[in-house]
Amino acid sequence: MSDAPDVAGDATRSIALWDLPVRLVHWSFVVLMPALWWTAEKGNIKLHVTIGLIMLGLVLFRLVWGLVGSSTARFAGFVRGPASIRAYIASARAGTAEHVVGHNPLGALSVLGLLGLLTLQVGLGTIAQDTDAVASGPLNHLVSYDTAVAASKAHELVFNLILALIVLHIAAILFYRFVKQEKLVAAMITGRKWVPAGITAPRMAPLWRGLVVAVIAAVVAVWISWGVPPWGARWPWDKPPPVEGLSEDSYM
Amino acid sequence: MKTVKLAAIAALILPATAMVAIAAAPADVIKARQDNFKIMGKAMKGTMDEFKLPSPNPAVVKANANALAAAAVKVKGGFPKGTGAETGVKTDALPVIWQKPADFKAADAKMAAAAKAFQAAANTGDLAKMQAAAGAVGQTCKGCHDTFRKPRS
Repeated sequence: MSDAPDVAGDATRSIALWDLPVRLVHWSFVVLMPALWWTAEKGNIKLHVTIGLIMLGLVLFRLVWGLVGSSTARFAGFVRGPASIRAYIASARAGTAEHVVGHNPLGALSVLGLLGLLTLQVGLGTIAQDTDAVASGPLNHLVSYDTAVAASKAHELVFNLILALIVLHIAAILFYRFVKQEKLVAAMITGRKWVPAGITAPRMAPLWRGLVVAVIAAVVAVWISWGVPPWGARWPWDKPPPVEGLSEDSYM
Repeated sequence: MKTVKLAAIAALILPATAMVAIAAAPADVIKARQDNFKIMGKAMKGTMDEFKLPSPNPAVVKANANALAAAAVKVKGGFPKGTGAETGVKTDALPVIWQKPADFKAADAKMAAAAKAFQAAANTGDLAKMQAAAGAVGQTCKGCHDTFRKPRS
C-alpha cells in the first residue's frame, strides 16, 4: 500500500490545495479553542481575554482571506445556494458527484457555520463581563450592564453550539477517512492532495498578500484590545489628566 | 415628650418589621439580595468604564462609590438561613455560606471595608487612589464569589 495517492486508482498528481494561511489559522483554532475553554473554566479571565483577542485577530484574518485569499479559501469559491447543495448531496449519494477541489457545497456549510459562530463568539466576548463587572471584555464599556450580562450568557450558549459543530466536523472527517478513504487531516497539514488528471489546480494567493492581511488583522485586534479609542477609552500612551484643583497633598 | 413617644413606638415596631423581614418568603429575600448585588455590579462597571475614558470624571466615580458602599452594607442581611438552593428558587448561593458562617461573615466584612475605603478614596478626588481602591473592592468580590457562589457553566 503506497502512502502517496489517496484517491483510489486515478490520482496521478499532487496539487497545492490549502494555502499556508488557511492551514495556520485552522490549526491555531484547534490549539486556541481548548485554551479558551480551559481559561474560562478556571476563571482566569485575564488570560482568557488575551487568548480571545488572538482568536479575534485570526477570525478577522480568515474573514478577509475569504475575500482576497487563494481560490480554495474564498467564500465566493465554495459557498453555494440550497439548490446546488441538494444537487450535490443527490449526486454524492448516487456516486456521480464531480471531483471537488476544496470545500464541497455541503462542507461549505460547516465552514460558514463554524466561522460564523466564531465571529459571533469573539464579538460577544469583547462586550461580556463577569458578574463582578471587574473582569470584562475590552469593549464592555460601550454597552450597558444588562447588555453585558446578556452577552455573557449568550457567550456560554454559543460556545456549546461551537462544540456541537466541532463534533460534527470531526465526525465528517472520520466519515471521509474510513468510508470514503480520503485523508482530510493530512491535506490540512501538508496543504497538498493527490488528484486525477484533468483537475485544474486551485490558484494560490501570494504569501505577501497573506502578510499584509495578517498585519491589518493584528492592528485591528490590538486596537480592540485597547477599547477602540477614542470611543470611551483612551490611547494607551495617554495618561489621564491630573484633576484640577487637587494637588498630591491637599487631602492628606 | 413627643419624641419619646415616637421612639417608644418605633422601638415596638422595628423589631416587628425585623421579624417580618426574617419571615419574608425566601424567594423575596433571594430576589432582594440579587437586586442588591446587581446595584453593586452596576456601580463597579460604572467605575471601571470611567477609568477607561480619556479624562475620567471623579464625580462619576464618586457617585458609583457611594452607591456601592450603600449597597455593600446590605449584603450581610441578605442571607438568612433557609434562603439557599434548597428553597427551589434559582440561586447561585452555595450551601457553604451557611455551613461556614464565620468565613462568610469575614469575607463580607472584608468587602464592606473595601467598599468603604473606595468611598473614602473617591472623596479624595485622586484618580490613581480611586482606581487602586476600586481594584481592591473587585478582589473582595472575586474572593467571595470563588468560595461561596456556584461557578458559572
